[in-house]
Amino acid sequence: MARVRLEHVTKRYDDQGDVVTAVDDMNLDIDHGEFICFVGPSGCGKSTTMETIAGLTIPTEGEIYIGDREVTNLPPKDRGIAMVFQNIALFPHMDVYDNISFGLRLRDYPQDEIDRRVERAADIVQLEGMLNRMPEEMSGGQRQRVAIARAIVREPDVFLMDEPLANLDAKLKVHMRTELQRLHKELDTTIIYVTHDQEEAMTLSDRIAVLDSGQLQQIDPPLTCYNEPDNLFVAGFIGSPSMNFVEGTVTETSLETPNFSLEFNPSSIEGIGVGDSVTLGIRPEDIYPGELKSEVPDPSGMITATTDILEPMGDEIFAYLLLGDGETSMSQELATNDQLLMSIDPDSDLEEDDEIGVVIDRRNVHLFDSATGDAIVHDLIPYEAEGTASSSEVESDD
Amino acid sequence: MATPTDTQEQSSDGPLQRWTQSAIQDPEKVYRALFYAAMVFFLVTTLFPFYWLIVLAVTPEGNLLSGSFLPTVNLFGVSGTFPLPVPKGFNPGAFVTVFEQVPFHLYMLNSFALAVTTTVIVLFVASLAGYVFGRLRFPGRALLMLGILAISYFPPAAFVIPLFQAFAGNAPITVPFTSIPLFTPPRMLNTPGSMVLPFSALFMPLSIFILTTFYGQIPDGLEDAARVEGTTRLGALFRVIMPLSAPGVATAAVLTFIAVYNEYFFSSIMATSPEAAKWSPIVGGILSYQTQYTTQFNLMAAASIVGVLPVVILVIVAQERIVSGLTSGALKE
Repeated sequence: MARVRLEHVTKRYDDQGDVVTAVDDMNLDIDHGEFICFVGPSGCGKSTTMETIAGLTIPTEGEIYIGDREVTNLPPKDRGIAMVFQNIALFPHMDVYDNISFGLRLRDYPQDEIDRRVERAADIVQLEGMLNRMPEEMSGGQRQRVAIARAIVREPDVFLMDEPLANLDAKLKVHMRTELQRLHKELDTTIIYVTHDQEEAMTLSDRIAVLDSGQLQQIDPPLTCYNEPDNLFVAGFIGSPSMNFVEGTVTETSLETPNFSLEFNPSSIEGIGVGDSVTLGIRPEDIYPGELKSEVPDPSGMITATTDILEPMGDEIFAYLLLGDGETSMSQELATNDQLLMSIDPDSDLEEDDEIGVVIDRRNVHLFDSATGDAIVHDLIPYEAEGTASSSEVESDD
Repeated sequence: MATPTDTQEQSSDGPLQRWTQSAIQDPEKVYRALFYAAMVFFLVTTLFPFYWLIVLAVTPEGNLLSGSFLPTVNLFGVSGTFPLPVPKGFNPGAFVTVFEQVPFHLYMLNSFALAVTTTVIVLFVASLAGYVFGRLRFPGRALLMLGILAISYFPPAAFVIPLFQAFAGNAPITVPFTSIPLFTPPRMLNTPGSMVLPFSALFMPLSIFILTTFYGQIPDGLEDAARVEGTTRLGALFRVIMPLSAPGVATAAVLTFIAVYNEYFFSSIMATSPEAAKWSPIVGGILSYQTQYTTQFNLMAAASIVGVLPVVILVIVAQERIVSGLTSGALKE
């Protein structure tokens, strides 16, 4: 059983006198057979965290356990891990067979055992008949499969994958993604996967660990991260296009933002008080054109807006909406408060510079504490009974 | 477009002027001419001494000192001096005599053994140093590198007297400026140890620089991959980094080998007399054809040719790698 545990793992670098904390007090508990994605922007510490698990970096503080063993200071070769690297890292002077069998030969496996295992690994990643090729004679996808075969041939307790698909083209990436999922099903091994691509993380993993500036922000199944983000960072990072954020102040009956207000009952929600500054988070798909108001379970009042730019994606259209007087589009920096991104039906006849009314699904908005960024609530309960709620007008603030 | 008048004007000029004209039109021509001039210069300066050795070697001993090596030729009534030296007679037996008079093969074996041992030691130690300097970051790295560079600039003669005293093993080594004895070294004169040790130290810096550059260019990912797959850092160095730096390793090896193979200064001092049994090298052997009263130039020339053959073979075999090693090391970093 290869459960991976990180306890208070911290890694600090000394960068010419400045201490840089790459990983800050990381605590993780990864179950056997789990597929975990570390996701975050560049420099968030996800690769460093993985390197500490691999043993390529020794943490400044904290302990790492793989299975029942403490491995914090063990060299990589004694940890029972295998790793797939972002730059693939096949040994250029060895052919495919030698690359795959490298680890087995180092461990003095008998020749027939090596042959059997290499054949099986090549079979799993569909590399039969290519064992005598040199890495330079192969395509990117084939090389990546060799790297994966090299990892699985040793039957490790834990797989570490550091952005293994980052250097592949978009089509191959999607194909390899499904192959990785198939592989995970087949091998039943713990997989830790580092990526900066939240879409990869969403589709692959059992749980996503969202990291930012060396700290763990949230570790939850993908849909939980999507629907109930713990804080502003997770909310903004997970989901594409990302969530709209609007700053506002809580009053007794509503949330007042510069351009509109959203009615709700603050007393029904814990951890919020009148006068608090909060950030409202709305996903693009939770904003609807005014004419669909009747279909939205708990719609907000009508918000007037002007369409700025339309981005047709085929299956949907992303519409950038300007709130307020609509003049802000001329200014250099558009305040996020004045802009909303809405996802609409592809056969909508909306055009640029149209003035429209939109409603927000109040059951799917998030409130965050503006000061700390922590999530307060993930849906607003209607202030009044259904009938009155729908008739209440929400004025747009000019 | 050349009109008839143009052609006439050009043809009235001398050939040099015509060539200059066309060279102005096509500067490539000048570069090509310069290239050939430089090539001929280098070929003559490097190959002529070798040719001169052959001429000397095949000339019978009795003819060496009489007459000129530049014969007078009479061609269609015009007599003049032939511009190249030619052998006066033909005596290929000199190539056999060299081994009969002096055990020259033993001297060659000495040089070869010293060169191989030194090369192995230098490659091993310089690989460790190159790994550390090229791949690890630690405080004082630049300073240490500078130290190695500084020491490599010391003239070898500066080390000869203290080393000779140490290898003689007569008196204990003392703390500098005092008479406090530290230890008495074993006597190492006339053994390979007294030559291999200083050679290794003297030729190490160059190899360290070459290997540092090469090892520094191997991507970190490959070393990480090797370590995850089951090697130690050292294992990764010798199994992955070194094979991938083959041009650099070959360059360092060949340069060290040739330098030691040709070395005379240290070995002539550490071998107290030019005898093969005292590990005297090739140059010691060549000088043995010279006695107090006679100098057998033909045998010395023949021995020089025989002695240089292993290096020629080595360079021909390894030249592609050396060239790519020297240039690719120079291009990056």
